[in-house]
Amino acid sequence: MFLALKEIKHEKLRYSLIIAMIVLISYLIFILTSLALGLARENTNAIESWNIQRIALSQDANVSLSQSLLTKQQVPAKLSGHEAYIGQVPVVAKASGEPKTSAQFIGLQSQQFIAKNMQLAAGHKPTTNQEVVVDTSFKNAGYHLGQKIRLSSTSQQFKIVGFINNAKINIAPIVYGTLTAWRSLKNVGPNLVASAIVSQTSHFSQKNDDLKYYSTKQFINKLPGYSAQNSTFAFMIGFLMIISLIVIAVFLYILTVQKLQNYAVLRAQGIPAKTLVGATISQAMILVISGLIIGTALTALTALAMPANVPMTFDLPILGAVALGLVVTGIIGALFPTRMILRVDPVSVIGG
Amino acid sequence: MSAIKLTNINKFFGHKASRVHVLRDINFTAEAGELSLVIGPSGSGKSTFLTIAGGLQTPNSGQVELDQQPLYALTAKQRDNLRLNKIGFILQAYNLLPYLTVREQFSLAERVKKQGNLTSSALETLLEQLGIAEFQHQYPAELSGGQKQRVAIARALYTNPEIVLADEPTAALDSERVKEVGQLLADLAKSQHKAIVVVTHDLRLRDYADQVYEILDGKISKTA
Ligand SMILES: Nc1ncnc2c1ncn2[C@@H]1O[C@H](COP(=O)(O)OP(=O)(O)O)[C@@H](O)[C@H]1O
Ligand SMILES: [Mg+2]
Repeated sequence: MFLALKEIKHEKLRYSLIIAMIVLISYLIFILTSLALGLARENTNAIESWNIQRIALSQDANVSLSQSLLTKQQVPAKLSGHEAYIGQVPVVAKASGEPKTSAQFIGLQSQQFIAKNMQLAAGHKPTTNQEVVVDTSFKNAGYHLGQKIRLSSTSQQFKIVGFINNAKINIAPIVYGTLTAWRSLKNVGPNLVASAIVSQTSHFSQKNDDLKYYSTKQFINKLPGYSAQNSTFAFMIGFLMIISLIVIAVFLYILTVQKLQNYAVLRAQGIPAKTLVGATISQAMILVISGLIIGTALTALTALAMPANVPMTFDLPILGAVALGLVVTGIIGALFPTRMILRVDPVSVIGG
Repeated sequence: MSAIKLTNINKFFGHKASRVHVLRDINFTAEAGELSLVIGPSGSGKSTFLTIAGGLQTPNSGQVELDQQPLYALTAKQRDNLRLNKIGFILQAYNLLPYLTVREQFSLAERVKKQGNLTSSALETLLEQLGIAEFQHQYPAELSGGQKQRVAIARALYTNPEIVLADEPTAALDSERVKEVGQLLADLAKSQHKAIVVVTHDLRLRDYADQVYEILDGKISKTA
């Protein structure tokens, strides 16, 4: 620590540049992680708020909610208190004076658990087929309670009677209404009951060849674009980690090469190799940790400055894990030059 | 009892056709309280001799004993420890750490070897004798070659070693400083009962030595 600090103090410019690199890399990794997390949440927020374990879709729907349609004959005569119907249809919401918004309409049966457990941020739950509860992003866009909106090209008007937080599925805000409203928006007859049955229990199933059952996880992973998006981010973050490993290793390597002569003399004097290795590793730690602190501060400033509609989630445990990953990367990076220090031969600087 | 004893040392470098016999049947002793000088031209094997005597490299045959302890029977770690505690090296390449002030150059050894180092007043006296006391808070880059060399001498003496091994300690010094360093080493040997071995091609140091050896093509011989 003594050697590491002295050297950093003496070579301020050189080490500031290295710290600046680490700041940029860690900032980029933090922002990408938050963006990945934010987008992932916008895919799954609503599903998570439903607290469901299983979902039943049509046999042929290929795990796609929008391809699934259940008829009266396919569904059980009566659902238990742990199951609920959901009817989904994509819509475009319009109101005079407001921008058009793409949304997902979710029709619910008011007696079933999803509608019952729904926690509103404002207003009340729909009591008629012409009333809807919408995601708060509508409110942020200028919509207000009591406002009339049209959904898709139907002439039918709906009234916003409530706002609900974090009602997003597949990156679109949700408009919650009744199953009857869903039927008319989807343009299907009374013989069709819902798009899916969701259940709070993990063993929900019926002997029925027309339905196929999935865990919530399976269902989420098959949301359009969800897995592709996540793996894209995972790759970017992984590559950035590897780049930071290379940057740290290369810098420390070059710096160590320049110091090998000095280290050889110290070894000749009997200074143990572990003291010198300790100096290199603590130097890497100081560089990475100061870089991380500044990167974190920049990320916090960004989080404050970021408008609410940018899908970013700053999750401290996850960012903490990422930061820890960078520290480990720094230690691994410091291990490459360490091998040189261990092998330095004092005789190499003697004589001449 | 000799502080350093080399018996029948042979050292080769290279293989087969390019094999060179650098040290030939070296027998050498150095006593505590004496300054022993080994004089020879460039390439005669002085540095190789000194590194073998100090436990930095292994001879192909022969024995090195420090205080009657066979050096190459020790593990590498034990030899590190022995060097730290008993031997002070003054090397041709002084390699001071560029980011430490003169004073801080000593604190590294202090961190590893907690006891038996010079007291701060003794260090002060030594730095004054060497004429570098006023540079204590400067960095090596601000010093001349001769000043750096004297810092390297002080660094070797700071741990108060029983044995001092010096390789061309006067290479960068002018005649005036050569006299001072020669006198200092001779005095240290006497007053603190150290065994000091200096290898050099600098004949000016002859006057301060108790024992003078000559080394030529890897063969050592005592001169009168
Ligand atoms: N590591 C080595 N490999 C091969 N030859 C060496 C090595 N070290 C020294 N030598 C050779 O050994 C001889 C003695 O070298 P050295 O001990 O450095 O002499 P001096 O210090 O007297 O100039 C020289 O010919 C030198 O080239
Ligand atoms: Mg030499």
